[in-house]
Amino acid sequence: MPPVRERRAPPSCLRSNLKVLRAAVLALQVGLAAALTGSALAQAYPDATEQPHTTDPVRLRALATRREIHERFARGLRAESRADWQAAIAEFERIIALDPPEPAGSTARYDLAIARARTGDYTAAALLLESALRRDPGFTAAAANLVTVEVLAGNAAAARAAADRFVALAPASARARYERGIVALQTGDLAVARDDFRALLAGDPAYAVAHYDLAIVDVRTAQFDAAELELDRALAIDPSYARARFALGTVFLQTGRRAEARAAFDRAARDASDIMLRTLAVELRDRL
Amino acid sequence: MRCLRVRWAVLLTLLAVLAAACGVAFSAEATLEELRHAQLQPSGITDLLDPIAESGRVGWDCAPEHAARARTARAAELPAVEP
Repeated sequence: MPPVRERRAPPSCLRSNLKVLRAAVLALQVGLAAALTGSALAQAYPDATEQPHTTDPVRLRALATRREIHERFARGLRAESRADWQAAIAEFERIIALDPPEPAGSTARYDLAIARARTGDYTAAALLLESALRRDPGFTAAAANLVTVEVLAGNAAAARAAADRFVALAPASARARYERGIVALQTGDLAVARDDFRALLAGDPAYAVAHYDLAIVDVRTAQFDAAELELDRALAIDPSYARARFALGTVFLQTGRRAEARAAFDRAARDASDIMLRTLAVELRDRL
Repeated sequence: MRCLRVRWAVLLTLLAVLAAACGVAFSAEATLEELRHAQLQPSGITDLLDPIAESGRVGWDCAPEHAARARTARAAELPAVEP
């Protein structure tokens, strides 16, 4: 009977090599898994545009139109970036005439509306944004710009309707709440303005401007304690907020605290960079 | 008689000075009242959101749409504090 050969442990150098090999295999597996996961999460880019292989006139025309829309979008946006509004208007009007499918159709109207608004043609801009929203009722940026355009045009009722639509479309949007709050405050709908500024502050309590606007609502409803509280909050966020400091001075005046009002106007006069505000603050301070 | 004229002159002068002082005080108070109401205006309106590229609203990378739906003032491109 042949002697049983004992299995000997591999030499230490080999054991070490085996460990290295195992570690390398493990690292390879981890790397492969990471690469696969990464490629799954990464943005997928479209393939290169296929060259047209057709002689069909209808197909060729469709391809040419698509190409023209693409080029005119690029040229229109370049024109807008250098504030060449007339050039941008020509490009986007041509795109709209080519009647591209969605979302390009509503986007072209949105971009044209910006160019029109920048030239002061608010009526045309509003019509274009309405048209964009008819094509895509969920186009939030168009809803937002429509409010701004109607305010710039001085159409209070239309601005309010646009703001209501914007809030309905995106109730949690800070911009929607701010825009409707401002429109409501300008038109004297103080209850809506108060609700909107409170909703805005619930989402972003560090926005000093909303505290200021809420204080204006409180002043107009003669709630001077609440106004003082909001102005204190605005000034805690930004102590150099001269307009809020000035408003606080008027609240002090309303409540008969002339010394505090004088101090507030004095500080507002020192902080204000707006010369009108500074002049008024100085004048009020000197009268007290 | 002359003494009486002097008294009348003094009295009228005093009345005129008093009326002028009252007028100035009233005018100053009215201006103060006007000024403190006139300046409490709301903050400014938002600027227009930026243009959108042809493919901008396809997918996730549309800055104006993000701004329109953002919950914070900075992300929504709302007006900053005007000093």
